[in-house]
Amino acid sequence: MKIVIVGAGEVGSHLAKLLSREEQDIVLVDKDANRLANLDANYNLMTLCGSPTSFSIMREAGVDDCDLFIAVTPYETTNVTACAMAKSIGAKKTVARIDNYEFMIDESQEFFTKIGVDYLIYPEFLAAQEIMTSLKRSWVRHWFELHDGEIILVGVKLRDTAPLIGKQLKDLAFVQRNFHISAIKRNHETIIPRGDDIIRANDILYFTTTRDHVDDLLDLCGKVQHDIKRVLIMGGSRIAIRLVAMAGEEYSFKIIESNLEVCKHLPEKCPNCEIVHGDARDFDVLREEGIEDFDAFIALAESSESNILSCLTAKEFGVDKTIAEVENIQFISEAEGLNIGTIINKKLLASSKIFQILLDADINSSKCLALTDAEVAEIEVKPKSKITRAAVKDLNLSRDMTIAGLIRDGQGMLVNGNTVIQPGDHVVVFCLTGAIHKVEKLFN
Amino acid sequence: MPMYKSRAKVNLPVLMRVTGWLLMIEAAFMLFPLLTCLIYGESDYMAFLIGTAITATAGGAMTFLIKPTRNDMAKREGFLLTALVWVIFSLFGMIPFLLSSTHYSISDAFFEAMSGFTTTGVSALSTVEQLSHGLHLWRCLMQWIGGMGIILFTLAVIPMLNHSGGMQMFNAEVTGITRDKIRPRVSQTAKTLWLIYFLLSIALCLLLWAGPMDFFDSMCHALSSMSTGGFSTRDAGIAAWESNYLKIVLIVFMFIGGINFALIYKASVGDFKSFRENDSFKAYLKIIGLALIAYIAAITFSGQAVNWESVSIDPLFQIVSALSSTGYTTSAFENWGTTILLITFILMFFGACAGSTSGGAKIDRLIFMLKNLRNEVHRCIQPNAILSVRVNGRVIAPELVSKVMAFLWIYVLIIIAGGVILTSAGMSMPDAFYSAFSCVSNTGLTSAVTGNGNVYAFMPDAGKWLLSFLMLVGRLELFTVLVLFSRSFWRK
Repeated sequence: MKIVIVGAGEVGSHLAKLLSREEQDIVLVDKDANRLANLDANYNLMTLCGSPTSFSIMREAGVDDCDLFIAVTPYETTNVTACAMAKSIGAKKTVARIDNYEFMIDESQEFFTKIGVDYLIYPEFLAAQEIMTSLKRSWVRHWFELHDGEIILVGVKLRDTAPLIGKQLKDLAFVQRNFHISAIKRNHETIIPRGDDIIRANDILYFTTTRDHVDDLLDLCGKVQHDIKRVLIMGGSRIAIRLVAMAGEEYSFKIIESNLEVCKHLPEKCPNCEIVHGDARDFDVLREEGIEDFDAFIALAESSESNILSCLTAKEFGVDKTIAEVENIQFISEAEGLNIGTIINKKLLASSKIFQILLDADINSSKCLALTDAEVAEIEVKPKSKITRAAVKDLNLSRDMTIAGLIRDGQGMLVNGNTVIQPGDHVVVFCLTGAIHKVEKLFN
Repeated sequence: MPMYKSRAKVNLPVLMRVTGWLLMIEAAFMLFPLLTCLIYGESDYMAFLIGTAITATAGGAMTFLIKPTRNDMAKREGFLLTALVWVIFSLFGMIPFLLSSTHYSISDAFFEAMSGFTTTGVSALSTVEQLSHGLHLWRCLMQWIGGMGIILFTLAVIPMLNHSGGMQMFNAEVTGITRDKIRPRVSQTAKTLWLIYFLLSIALCLLLWAGPMDFFDSMCHALSSMSTGGFSTRDAGIAAWESNYLKIVLIVFMFIGGINFALIYKASVGDFKSFRENDSFKAYLKIIGLALIAYIAAITFSGQAVNWESVSIDPLFQIVSALSSTGYTTSAFENWGTTILLITFILMFFGACAGSTSGGAKIDRLIFMLKNLRNEVHRCIQPNAILSVRVNGRVIAPELVSKVMAFLWIYVLIIIAGGVILTSAGMSMPDAFYSAFSCVSNTGLTSAVTGNGNVYAFMPDAGKWLLSFLMLVGRLELFTVLVLFSRSFWRK
């Protein structure tokens, strides 16, 4: 599949790196040669230096016969224009990154389809959605629904008190089959667990389960579902505005913003919120605003470092749920090791979303979720493929992968050693980065 | 997490494994001369049989017995592997020479193999006509593989290198200042380049065959001219056939061999505009034109203009041969005088366009240097002027310009150092500098340009090893080899 990405910013380069490992033909275009040099020398892709809105550059990049055109420069007008131009010279599908909520509403859809933009990506909107999900399930670190929620993937960090700690996986298996532990993230490393692995404190466990059994996990992990009502937000960023608009009356918000100019505009956009001018990194300010009484603290300031540290502070004040926006991808793994409830990264969210668009455009590509060093894929089983030949336990599957669950006739179910996979099933596979090709062979 | 991994030691198991693959490819190539020996009923088939067996066994053992724990290859592995592979290829490639009926010493055999793979095209032997057909084919085949690049061939055929490790090797091997990827994936780029190369070689072979050459000679010359290598099956080279047709055909294909293959690819998909816009291609044409005028003038003044060929085809042949670093000579070349010899040196120094099979420092670098020089002179008068080096319509970053300057300096220093060492080994000064020059630029103008006969045949062994090293340094464009000798490369 041929993909042209315009804009080698963080989203663009992150996507390009990911996709270049996926046997896709990537051409990356940017105005700035310096940004491209490193990617060109180290990754299996082609780069082209030039204006994102130039027909001749587009032809040179091969937009005329590309399957997907992704415009992720920092400027939405450039992105929309580039997509329209790309479509006019023959790009099959186009994706533009925007930062205007007005474009997302249904009435605008027709206009964008008409001028040639097929998909719109609005990272701030995606981030707000993600925050909403994690506010709703305060005990969960990752929440991912597959196939309309038939299979649910849940990432939970275990505290010292969790009943699961110290148990071997094979002991758990006989007790219940309502969940499947697909992966464990331990000390910056993701492992696909086997029967003799022991669960330890501070592990992040990735459970696969069905809708009815999600709540069983709460007790197992020693978690309590906190009902969140009052939310304190640090930083009146676009994500904050989006979040407030999305939540409506569900939560009551207080926003602490340090920039007075921004504070003046906020009341117009967030009519039902309390707005406070102050620096949320200051203990006194937090105490004055009554941080102890809040159920959740969301740090959305510009600096990732401040966000991480203020979340830790909020946790010490006794706030149940903390959410930090961390824009430096390198920090994410480090931040996950700390006591922060959920980490939001606009770039990862945007790339994940584009991955899903890719999935729609290309039936051969199956990936649907990229974690830091593992991947989750939903793969349709072809007739006569290797995976259908025997029960799962007799297949001698690679240690880099595990079958987390499957969807048969639209019904989600879990897989155990005796399950025989049938053609037509949609199988959810969890595998370490790089092993996806081994996995795909099993299904074709 | 990868980011917490300390900068680990060089990943040797992966290097060995990839080298193993490469050796098996080399063994496969050795089957062609083996077959040739059998067809002609020559006793050298044993040499190739043993050579193939040793190479294939070593390669197979390295590939299948070594199981690397990690598969990643970083910049250092890329450099190390690329440089090593060329040495290892020559080491295994010399086996047939050692075992053949023609007696080669180890130094001679290695020199011959390195001269082949680096497309230098000088021979350690004073006469090559007694060599078996198999050996002739093997010499030319080595040049053909080396011309486009061993690594590039591997990238085209082995999918396991289609990742960032392959990228590092691609960068370390392909000539030029900036690497033109012509397709998004490195394996596609490699496949496309090899396909163009293969088709051009076949075309050349057929055209030569249509002339006075027999099929075997046309095949050998096609392989060695397309790669701008310059091995011949005759001592007199192309002059042995006394055919203007052959010279014209070879001029055309040596010329093509000196063009950036990315341009040829663009032309093959119908984009001829790139030719017009490419500065180094235009300079390539201009240099040939200017050199031709100089040659004709010098030939006429020295009274060598005996017939029409000597002021048209012969000088043109000589110019393209030197510029594209092929190194064929016409019969009259020695008599044209010292001026011509010096002009030829300059042509050899720069070679043809980057991204081609030719050697030398490449015209692209000449353009950089001249444009930068012009800017510096201009800046003396107008110190505040903002001046940039523009090549192919793009402004070149100052870092790249300084890299080119460094390259040219090191290039000159290497030639001087090589020459000095060779004189200490007892060679006369012109011979020493000439051969160092000829080997670094991978031209290998054959015997007697300095008037002292074939210097390579009488050279001490130490000299041959030194020249083999210079050929490798020149072929991999200095940095890939020299970086291995820097302390920072090995420091943890």
